[in-house]
Amino acid sequence: MSIKYIPKDITEETNVNVTRRHPLKNFIYLLTTVVVVSVVIFFALGYTASWLVTRISPENEARIGNLLYDTISETEITDDRRIYYLDELLHNMLNLGENARLPLTIHLIDTEVVNAAIMPGGHVLINTGLLQEVKSENELAFILAHELGHFQHQDPLKSLGRSLVVLSALAAVGVGTSSSSGGLSEVVSWTGEMTILHYSRTQERQADEYGLERITNHYGHGNYSLEFFNRLKEEDDEFYQVSQYFDSHPQNQERINYLSKLAVNNNWDMKGDITPLPNWINCPDMDEMQCEVE
Amino acid sequence: MENILQVLFVLFLMIIGYLFGSYREKRHFKSLQQREKNTLHLSVANFGNQQALIAEVTETKLIVGSVVISIDYFKKISAILRNLVGGKVIVYESLLDRSRREAVLRMKEQAIEWQAKQVLNVRLETVAIGGRFGGRTDPGSIEVIAYGTGVK
Repeated sequence: MSIKYIPKDITEETNVNVTRRHPLKNFIYLLTTVVVVSVVIFFALGYTASWLVTRISPENEARIGNLLYDTISETEITDDRRIYYLDELLHNMLNLGENARLPLTIHLIDTEVVNAAIMPGGHVLINTGLLQEVKSENELAFILAHELGHFQHQDPLKSLGRSLVVLSALAAVGVGTSSSSGGLSEVVSWTGEMTILHYSRTQERQADEYGLERITNHYGHGNYSLEFFNRLKEEDDEFYQVSQYFDSHPQNQERINYLSKLAVNNNWDMKGDITPLPNWINCPDMDEMQCEVE
Repeated sequence: MENILQVLFVLFLMIIGYLFGSYREKRHFKSLQQREKNTLHLSVANFGNQQALIAEVTETKLIVGSVVISIDYFKKISAILRNLVGGKVIVYESLLDRSRREAVLRMKEQAIEWQAKQVLNVRLETVAIGGRFGGRTDPGSIEVIAYGTGVK
């Protein structure tokens, strides 16, 4: 018995083993699906995390704060009497009868970068670079009051919640996890930085409002407190070593306009005398003998 | 900045992968079609042990055809994205189709050279080589082996 062999021609049109779809089309479909879904999940998780994180106990916040503070690599100046001055100035910003959510700790950081920040757990970071840049106590006080505002509104915690989600997601797709270093430790230290860097515009605005209100209460007027931002605005074009922190803040002009309007609406006096900074503000341990004359 | 560079690098590799990969794939499919036409006269059949061997067989030989084809970077990234979504990995469908057909063709071409009347009981094996297939560290390749018993 023999069966006649009649071969059938194979053409690409009849090839059922390869789906006929353009690879680029397929890729674009995949990419959009993945991106859209991730963004949705991202935001949902971010908001949930920042909501949940404001519900942790003060003890836990203090614990998290200490962990995060340990990730900061800059050198801290300890045993410096300027810290007492800064501490007093910061606490003067609180209204009568108002308490900070957690005890506040001042950390004086030895770096040229012009920056101040507050972290969960009440760690207030003040760079020596900022002390060199401020020209009056009013300016310094406003910056401190602004940071205090963030803290009282639990902004550092909320932003911590969100950045943990963001960075865990990044780590999940492999960004920031090199094989040599344990991926997680890198994520934690990034989280520390991100916590300081990122607040929403609304959070910034509320912190500004808080700051100016406290300044007016303390000094009786808001004059000179915004000079710092005026100067930043003027120096925007030049190369100026301002950390990303101030870059991420609302545009300085917009910020000044808004606060001026706010002062008018609230009948806050924007005229008054300058309160100078102590002479030793840039001298280690208040000791003018050790001071480098500029 | 470092991350932006990383993304640009991946993008660059993907463009290279897509351009070269799709050019080669097109060319390969063309060649496959042509050679399949040329080798169509040789039949490939399965043969059970219950059947008697056809009378005129005088000689048998193991005939093996194998091919290794690498995936390109574009396919790799597409497949990684597909892993998240699920469904048909169509970028690998064409890769495997090419490999299978190439392996069978190489086997048949060898059989024709040996002047076989038929190739019996052809089997295909697939193996992933060059790191984890679709893995993160290596683009990876696949090998397909086609083997059967040539008779004449």
